[in-house]
Amino acid sequence: MLVAIFGLMPILVAAGVSFTDLDIGGLAHPETVRVVGAANYVQLAGDPEFWSAFALTAGYVVVGVPLITVLALAVATGLNRSDGRFYRLLRTLYFLPAVTALVAISVIWKYMFNGQFGLFNWLLDLVGLPAVNWLSDPGSAQIAVGLVAVWRAIGLNSIILLAALQGVPAEQLEAAALDGAGPVRRYLHVVLPQIRFALGFVVMTTLIGWLQFFDEPFVLTDGGPVGATTSLSLFLFKRGFRLNEFGYASAGSIVLLVTIAAVTLIQLRLRRAHD
Amino acid sequence: MGDSATKFEQLIAPFETQTGIDVTVEAVPWDSVNDRLTSAVASGKGPDVTQIGLSQLASFLKGDALADVSADLAAYPNLAESNFPSAVASTALNPSGGVYSVPWIADTRVLFYRSDLLSAAGISAPPKTWDELRADAKKLTDKSAKRYGYYIPQWDAPLPVTYTWQAGGEIMADGKIDVTSSAFTKAADHYLGLYADGSVPTASDFDQTTGFISGSVAMLVSGPYLAKAVAEQAPDLDGKWSVTTVPTDASGTSLYAGSNLGVWKNTTNKVGALMLLNFLADPATQVAWYTSNGDLPAATKAYQDAKLSADPLVKVYAEQLKDARLLPVSTKWDAASSEILNALNKIAVSGADKAATLKALADKVATINAGS
Repeated sequence: MLVAIFGLMPILVAAGVSFTDLDIGGLAHPETVRVVGAANYVQLAGDPEFWSAFALTAGYVVVGVPLITVLALAVATGLNRSDGRFYRLLRTLYFLPAVTALVAISVIWKYMFNGQFGLFNWLLDLVGLPAVNWLSDPGSAQIAVGLVAVWRAIGLNSIILLAALQGVPAEQLEAAALDGAGPVRRYLHVVLPQIRFALGFVVMTTLIGWLQFFDEPFVLTDGGPVGATTSLSLFLFKRGFRLNEFGYASAGSIVLLVTIAAVTLIQLRLRRAHD
Repeated sequence: MGDSATKFEQLIAPFETQTGIDVTVEAVPWDSVNDRLTSAVASGKGPDVTQIGLSQLASFLKGDALADVSADLAAYPNLAESNFPSAVASTALNPSGGVYSVPWIADTRVLFYRSDLLSAAGISAPPKTWDELRADAKKLTDKSAKRYGYYIPQWDAPLPVTYTWQAGGEIMADGKIDVTSSAFTKAADHYLGLYADGSVPTASDFDQTTGFISGSVAMLVSGPYLAKAVAEQAPDLDGKWSVTTVPTDASGTSLYAGSNLGVWKNTTNKVGALMLLNFLADPATQVAWYTSNGDLPAATKAYQDAKLSADPLVKVYAEQLKDARLLPVSTKWDAASSEILNALNKIAVSGADKAATLKALADKVATINAGS
């Protein structure tokens, strides 16, 4: 029941709204809201800004998911080497980004990236390199925004993987070593299969996270420069909450929802086939 | 109402004692005004009186959130149209007739310049025309010293419009936005020319306050908030900078920004609300608000007060306000303004093809014009 009210209802309402031309005038006078059929979806299909946001988001998924998974696994493997004090301190340090308030931390990143007085350009200047327009050059802004997201995602994911790694029985590793398996083979054939479930979880949540990519570009660049970092979610937010085009934004959010559902299903299928 | 709830409560304390009306003040950050507006419109529950940033007026009108007070105005002398600049005449504020809000705070854009840098470059007076501005900006730019002559905020949606006005044209006529007029073309050329000269920073995260204080930028067009920030952050810079009216082409029209006050449509206390508006529009209240919060009065008479007339900066603002105009009050404009800005920045910063980008812009604006 609760799931129906709080989970399903908003989706159904959005789906309904997506077939209308609801805007702020329509909120005041519901009788003026017109059902426009699939017009919003047709408009979406022909909207270059929607497609560039879509392509950008897809790009982040393609680059970001493997990157975060590999980096988080590498960090977790490193942290798993010892249970000493130093490693416990490192563990806390790696986890910190995951518990910081994103908006506060993004403001710090924004200052570090700033072209005029930012830390990074100051460091570049110290070693005699030319300054980089981190957030105001379209290409570097896409990288900078993605980097912050990667930095933030590694903490939580490496802790999840670390927990899984610690669950790998030492006896099995010893047995494999006695049978003559080197460190690489032990890792690939003993460790990885044991943490398969955690790995799958990390991949899926990261995938969904990138598809909904919003916070970093919202705070760091507001989707700029000239729309270069406008992710799908940010595009929808701007149309819905800045321009009050509720019908159009709802249509877009349904497209995003379907995309996420499809991608998740495909991933589940692949895993099942693999098992 | 920004972050100034406490100051505002002090401002209206005399009103509360006089009338016995208890006013509850709630400050809403500008960023969340639109969210609050939509939820208030959807639920039908709003405040009695609300502050409306002029750039958001169109959304308030479209959301049918405000009461038409045209029939009540006669009883409240401070609210008469003649008390305010012609830029905020009711015909400009209410394109479909009626009176849905009254002026509260004025704000405009003027030319800020670093007089020390100008005289070091052998420029005796700030530029008066577009051509002088471009020439001076070029002269003041010194890449080796990391100095630019001028600064264009890439997020400044009103800028291309004020340029169009200055070139002698209109951005919106008969409810349609026009980006194909010769005046708009001229405005775009001026905007892009400053970039082509290399006189403006291309970084979108360039900070104008820091830039002006440090001398990375010698001139820029901005509002009174910049003067306040410079005076607070760099008091030692006093005497090395000043303001003047914006450089002219066919005209020297600047932007009239600021905010209005409106009575909520569903209020149960319209008389009390109007009494409060009348109190707030009183030149004495307006001067008091300028003194406590630094906002420029909308009431013309307030500028005769000694506190304001003694301030040389306010003199320039008042002069500029005489030739300042409102952005078109239309939700179409909200959608079109970011397209215009994006197109110009694409050409200026990312090197997109000018003719093709402006053609694409014209097509997009045509779609927006055709929308409801």
